[in-house]
Amino acid sequence: MKLKSRLMSAEEMSRALRRIAHEIIERNKGAQDLALVGIHTRGVPLAERLAALIRDIEGETPEVGKLDITLYRDDLTEIALQPVVRKTEVSFDVHGKSMVLCDDVLFTGRTARAALDALVDMGRPAVIQYAVLVDRGHRELPIRADFVGKNVPTSRVELVKVKLRPVDDEDAVDLYELEA
Amino acid sequence: MSRLLVKDAWLVDGAGDHGRADVTIEDGVIRGVGTDAAAGFRAARTVEAAGRLLTPAFLDLHAHLREPGQEVKEDLASGLAAAAAGGFGTVVSMANTEPPVDEPGLVTSLVRKAAGLGRARLRPAAALSHGLRGEVLTDFAALQAAGAVMITDDGIPVTNGRLMRSACQYAADLGLVVQTHSEDPSLRAGGVMNEGAVSQALGLPGNPDAAEAVMVFRDCEMARLTGARVHIAHVTCMRAMQVVEQFKGMGVPVTCEVTPHHLTLSDAALSGFDPVFKVAPPLRSDADVAYLREAIKRGVVDSIGTDHAPHTRAEKERDLLSAPFGLPNIEVAFPLLYTELVVPGTLPVAELLRLLQDGPAAVMGWPAPRLAVGAPADVTLLDLESERPVDPETFLSKARFSPWTGRALRGWPTLTLVAGEVAFERQVPDRSGAASG
Amino acid sequence: MATVRVEIPSSPTPRKRHLLDFEGWSADDVGALFDTADVMAQVLTRAIKRVPALQGFTVGTLFFEDSTRTRLSFERAARAQSADVISFAAGGSSLSKGESLKDTLQTIDQMQADVYVVRHPAAGAPHQLTHWTEAAVINAGDGRRAHPTQALLDAYTFRQRFAGFDGFTGKRLAVVGDIMHSRVARSNVELWRKLGGEVVLCGPAPLLPPEVAPQVRHTYRLEEAVEGAHAVMTLRLQLERMSAGLLPSPAEYVSRYQLTERVLQRAHPDALVMHPGPLNRDVEVATEVADGPRSVIRDQVANGVPIRMAVLYTLLVGTR
Repeated sequence: MKLKSRLMSAEEMSRALRRIAHEIIERNKGAQDLALVGIHTRGVPLAERLAALIRDIEGETPEVGKLDITLYRDDLTEIALQPVVRKTEVSFDVHGKSMVLCDDVLFTGRTARAALDALVDMGRPAVIQYAVLVDRGHRELPIRADFVGKNVPTSRVELVKVKLRPVDDEDAVDLYELEA
Repeated sequence: MSRLLVKDAWLVDGAGDHGRADVTIEDGVIRGVGTDAAAGFRAARTVEAAGRLLTPAFLDLHAHLREPGQEVKEDLASGLAAAAAGGFGTVVSMANTEPPVDEPGLVTSLVRKAAGLGRARLRPAAALSHGLRGEVLTDFAALQAAGAVMITDDGIPVTNGRLMRSACQYAADLGLVVQTHSEDPSLRAGGVMNEGAVSQALGLPGNPDAAEAVMVFRDCEMARLTGARVHIAHVTCMRAMQVVEQFKGMGVPVTCEVTPHHLTLSDAALSGFDPVFKVAPPLRSDADVAYLREAIKRGVVDSIGTDHAPHTRAEKERDLLSAPFGLPNIEVAFPLLYTELVVPGTLPVAELLRLLQDGPAAVMGWPAPRLAVGAPADVTLLDLESERPVDPETFLSKARFSPWTGRALRGWPTLTLVAGEVAFERQVPDRSGAASG
Repeated sequence: MATVRVEIPSSPTPRKRHLLDFEGWSADDVGALFDTADVMAQVLTRAIKRVPALQGFTVGTLFFEDSTRTRLSFERAARAQSADVISFAAGGSSLSKGESLKDTLQTIDQMQADVYVVRHPAAGAPHQLTHWTEAAVINAGDGRRAHPTQALLDAYTFRQRFAGFDGFTGKRLAVVGDIMHSRVARSNVELWRKLGGEVVLCGPAPLLPPEVAPQVRHTYRLEEAVEGAHAVMTLRLQLERMSAGLLPSPAEYVSRYQLTERVLQRAHPDALVMHPGPLNRDVEVATEVADGPRSVIRDQVANGVPIRMAVLYTLLVGTR
């Protein structure tokens, strides 16, 4: 795997997240009944940061949850290694909430579809929206994000790697080329 | 009858090693033995032995040929052909068939049928009790007159001591050998393998060696009490062998047999859960196997009997509890024992041959088989050098499976003659490339 | 179309094909299974007690020996992951005793299940089956030899309920009863020791042969076995053992081997009381102990489904 370029620096990420936080508040007319659910792994620190930003802006903290979608994936065919299944922590009632699913990269849309199925099995939110840091195109399902940090057209042989503290030791978005 | 010359064989029998020589055969008996035997002998056929071992055909006092009633597993034709392929010239067939051989008419029909087959000779054993139920004695004298050479309920232990005593007394009077399957059923208690560390780890019901030792003791006591010739079949463990040795030391007319599988396999073989290794009495511990081999060297063991117990492959693909006991081995018995015991130097070949020739003959009171002028031409020619893997697809037995599939063995019989006629022949290219027996 | 590379968090240990016993399973493998079971347990608390993880897979239950509880537990575990279930039970026309095991399997294999959950009265039958099918095989109990999912749910229950649980190292399990005939005992010995714990076996002499587990302490005295134990597991006493001449009367067994409050006082203060079920009340365990605060017998039953969900998931995911 070869590094091609840095798509977003830490500052650019910070600005994008602040903008997204404002957009979420605007779309949902405030933070009431708002819940952010991060998709494991990097969707989780994203959701937490957005929740903190929303609290700074609105004075009200939305609920935050963590969602593992491994059990809902449809792309686990012929895998050689054992997938690790992690806990979903959604301690609040989803009924009637405005839920914002948070993830680092939107690519084929399969993760989002699995997350939707998982959320719907938990209850009946009023509305589900989708926030991503990077949308890299190549959708295989009719999924779109409501809030996007940056749109980056990519080719299939490229990989977008998001690094987020505390999961990683820096904040950055890098573009790699996969070896043929 | 045909005149046959076996040229340049290495001749060995119970009387000793006679070196390389020729043997001429006519009218079913040996006509001449020696380096000049071929002189003036017009052979209809010449077998180029090229130094292969020629020895009297083996005697198996213990094989299950499954006729009548269980012909899906084996019958006289396939069983006696398999025996000849294993180098055996005479087989004593067991009586636990369906129905059991407990009537003289059954003995007669078996003898008659086997005679026409042109394979190994059949000497049937007859049941000790009617239906093998262990309650009422069969008519030993009538059975003997019909051709039975041995009395045994083998397969089923005779639990009633009083019946066993009567059987021994009566058999002693008639000069019949009583062969025993010595296991105490109540101690055996549903065991499917040897009771020991392996059975406990596998959680399989175990059959303790004590079940065999206890019954071997009883059967030896019967020999002592009645003076009957009691032949203990398939001794498998140290304790039982020690009992036999003790009684022999006292001069009691008891003899004993060991099987090829109990000399070469232990209970560890069942760790793979393959029912082909499920036999009765069971494969025992490594210590027991070692003791049996030592007992052979000390001269305690009288004979090797195969206990060839064919079943259908489907039966041996059942689970370990419901699969029947027994394994087929008559075609591989000699090569197996030659490769595992003689080749590594554990046992001299002369001793192995004794256990298959003079030993069983003595148990039965038959003349010792010899490569001598006038002796019956029951001989087998053995290839001690070439190594061939065990391939059940080539078996003449109906039981085309084996615990030793794929094992490379030496000592395969290439030709077996019974009464001077070819009972078995394998095409073997000789050193010049021409095919010969 | 070039393949899309998606990163899936994975564990580095090689995939397991079957669960026949714990041969080839490490303590880490079991730990991962327990973590997965935690997630599955959570699924079972939701409004919709189902995930699509095994959609399209078929689970075949082959029970040559009757057991409603274990079979239903596996079936529930399969359906909670959206798998299809086909059940074959002995006594029904589908499994005939005289038929060779291989023929029976090959007839059933036409249904092309992805995994067979097998219970059989003969040890080794699940091993034999692995030779004759491409499907995965899970041992739900073979003769007296092994019952791995039972041992898993027992250890999982201990991990869940032992106060201040910090690992199995140094934890002692006492197993009491008819050890000789117990696949639960054998599998618990295998698993606890693999996880770093200690086991002591206890029972009347005819039911406790020394070779059952030679590396493990054996005692015929209940008080000795329970002394300092962190968990006491009593096994079901089968009355057939009496008629088979292996044991004196139930009254004698009770007087010497029943787990009472008094005996339990010798155990670790936080010791848990376990039983694989079904319980003979006031035989193996006194009622007040069975219903008391240290009994986790009900938790064991409840944990059967998440553990079996985790096992099915671990063996099947990504095999097609």
